[in-house]
Amino acid sequence: MCALSRRAAISAAAALPALAVLPAAQAAPPSPAAPPAGAEKPLFGASLWTLPNGLTVVHAENRRAPVVAHYVFYSVGAGEDPQGKSGLAHFLEHMMFKGSEHVPSGAFSRRVAREGGQDNAFTSRDVTAYFQNVEASRLPLVAGMEADRMATARFPAEEIEAERQVVLEERRQRVESTPRGRFREAWDAHFWGRQHWRGRPLIGWPDEVAALSRDDMLEFHHRYYTPANATLVVTGAVSREAVAKLAEEDYGGIQGRPAPYPKAHRGRAPAPPAPLQERLVQREPTVQEAAFLRGWIAPSLPPDTEASRLAHPLEVLSHLLGGGQGSRLDRALVQSGLAVSAHCAYDTDALGTGCVELSVTPRRDATTDRLEQAVTAEIQRLLDDGVTDAEVERSVRQITAGTLLALDSLGAAPRILGSGLAVGLPLEGIEYWPARIRAVTRAQVEEAARTVLARQSMVGWLLPEGAA
Amino acid sequence: MSGTGFSLPIQVVEGGGLTAWLAEDHSVPVVSITWSWPGGAALDPRGQEGAARLAANLMTEGAGELDATAFADALQDEAIGLDFSADRDSFQGGFRALVPALPQAVRLARLAMTAPRFEPDAVARERARALAMVRRSLEGPQGRGARAFWAAGFPDHPAGRPTGGTEESLAALTVEQLRAALARHLRRAPGLLISASGAITADELAALLPALFGALPEGKVEDPPPLPEFRHFGTQVVPVASPQSAILFGQPGIPVNDPAWETAQLVLRILAGGGFTARLTHSIREERGLTYGIGAGLEVIFGQSVLAGSCATANARVGETLTVLRAEWKRMAESGPTAAEIEEAVAFLTGNQPLQFTDSRRTAAILLAMRRNGRPLDWLARRPERLAAITREQAAKVAARLLAPAGLSVTVAGQPEGL
Repeated sequence: MCALSRRAAISAAAALPALAVLPAAQAAPPSPAAPPAGAEKPLFGASLWTLPNGLTVVHAENRRAPVVAHYVFYSVGAGEDPQGKSGLAHFLEHMMFKGSEHVPSGAFSRRVAREGGQDNAFTSRDVTAYFQNVEASRLPLVAGMEADRMATARFPAEEIEAERQVVLEERRQRVESTPRGRFREAWDAHFWGRQHWRGRPLIGWPDEVAALSRDDMLEFHHRYYTPANATLVVTGAVSREAVAKLAEEDYGGIQGRPAPYPKAHRGRAPAPPAPLQERLVQREPTVQEAAFLRGWIAPSLPPDTEASRLAHPLEVLSHLLGGGQGSRLDRALVQSGLAVSAHCAYDTDALGTGCVELSVTPRRDATTDRLEQAVTAEIQRLLDDGVTDAEVERSVRQITAGTLLALDSLGAAPRILGSGLAVGLPLEGIEYWPARIRAVTRAQVEEAARTVLARQSMVGWLLPEGAA
Repeated sequence: MSGTGFSLPIQVVEGGGLTAWLAEDHSVPVVSITWSWPGGAALDPRGQEGAARLAANLMTEGAGELDATAFADALQDEAIGLDFSADRDSFQGGFRALVPALPQAVRLARLAMTAPRFEPDAVARERARALAMVRRSLEGPQGRGARAFWAAGFPDHPAGRPTGGTEESLAALTVEQLRAALARHLRRAPGLLISASGAITADELAALLPALFGALPEGKVEDPPPLPEFRHFGTQVVPVASPQSAILFGQPGIPVNDPAWETAQLVLRILAGGGFTARLTHSIREERGLTYGIGAGLEVIFGQSVLAGSCATANARVGETLTVLRAEWKRMAESGPTAAEIEEAVAFLTGNQPLQFTDSRRTAAILLAMRRNGRPLDWLARRPERLAAITREQAAKVAARLLAPAGLSVTVAGQPEGL
């Protein structure tokens, strides 16, 4: 797919929405991101500043329609669920719709709808975000209510049990009712560890979700839902001055607690040196179509460390290897008749650690051995012979070609800006990401490949019962 | 509309004997064009289920001098999103492209419509992909339930068959049959409807229409067999090993040209719409925690509609969920919405209108849907006043006429208890 919503697509794919289908002076003058040497125009032209209570405010104007998107990103996600309390960040996100000091339970969404708007929220491993899309004149209404629940969310005890059932139904729907959902969850747990922050399901283990309490929520909210740990993003038909005034009036008065950590350094356990297992084979009677996974632990962009230099080269590598038609895996597996589909995934912006993951749906007449050998041969060829300049140029071109399409939607700009800033990426890294991709060289792609793909990997098979 | 002053001017553009609707907007350098023919999977001959959809997928797998990979590269090099698809009652094409890539998008779309290659290896790949999708959709309760629901509702009409085909039909389709599926639709015919949105002027669009469609043969798309009323089939259980059951429910809807259409939409927003405010969401999700999401709406098929909805709940709670669902259906049928509910829903539907037009693809799709439903050009502009004029009495009358609590058909896929 095109890269336009590259970051937006990532957060949407990895996140769980709440509803199915559903005064102070500025510490520093707002400033646009500084361009890297010789670079082009910033993608969004966003301004960023910080209130004295620590709230990061981001504004990007877009006058296409008389509407605005109002988002608050908290730099906390399922990755911060306490030990034994998996699912807390997500359950709490559901409970944020159950009232705050000046907004009764359920009234938030009802008021937004009454004004023609839409609201929802989502939890990923790295962020929790709440958003409303409204006609521009309704911005003060939603900002006031969002600020109210940042400061005073109630988590009413009498509503927790029904919502717990909603969360467990969500879990059944996403994970438990299909063999593919169950396999995906088992894969992460076997790869990273069942109780490692990266290996636990975002939605939580069912026994742990069953035990989450109101006190857990109050404590989590107190610790993480503070202005210094939040990023307010407002985009659309609104001026920077109006956003500055609004931010100050509605959010500036919230008494700040210190941030629990820097946004990119959250004290998460390190990634294991290698996947905990080499192989996971799951057989289920309802499986109609086999699935193959192979994954490697890989560095990612945030937090900025020595290994982060590999992140953009890995993004190019991932496209070159399995970014759709014409990629190496497509040629070796799909065009050769071994597989129905073959893809490579890598999340550049995953906080703390990433992974490179191949996913293949084999043709029914391809044996597991033959498919695995073909994958291994492709990886070996990559390690032995490297890549060509033409391949790198093609991937860079295709990853960046659709950059401007991110402006063709209301949600892409705030999601790309907010999800990046909330994991500590610098604004200029977001505004000028195409330039960073274009700067990737063949040597860097080869270094990334040799660093990551030569390591121990894990292989997984989901197979029909009785299959070899 | 609540003082928003929002309006969406729509231009009617003629070129090459064709007419397109255009919402021109130069704020972002992007253009989306979408078009459709009536027919789709409904025109697949018996035994050839899935032909239209598979043929649509093959149109972008090599055309003209470009093989499948070269075609894909040509699209991806310029981030052109070009797609063809077939659904229950139509065959659609469309693309989104940045302005500099527009000529290439037009060239590739035309090639795909006039010179698709259907090379044996591409056919084998796409057939394998379609088979895998069909099989995979039957792994869980949702896919199994949906297939059974539509089959039971339209037992003797193509609308009841799986749009993507079956394992048997896909395995047997020949290249000739796939080419015939394209030939049934790809015509400069009265049924070809076109809409566009984004950074393109009326003159530019007029010039582009013959370039896109000029080489297609003239002719009419054949009519599908007349759609019968959605059949009431009571409660149907599809056994699937799963901790949760998928529940699909439905009943006959009303035609899109029924004068009560918008009032029905208003009633359904209140009963079963999106967001947290609907009655079903309130009583089934919020109060009782029975499901993650529930909703229902009018699904249009050939100008008629089916009122269809779905949710999912733990097997042990299926009985309770259905009891509440039927009670809400009955309560709305008997009493209609309250004045406060109507006021809120009208405010939402009116105030939400500007939010529908922030994405060029969506804008083009809305214009196309208006054309398919036979709406006049000022349909959107006058919608707020039509909505504002709906009285509680009218809404209650439409609710009573539309909603048939005893006529609700239900498919439960899973291992339900309490039925």
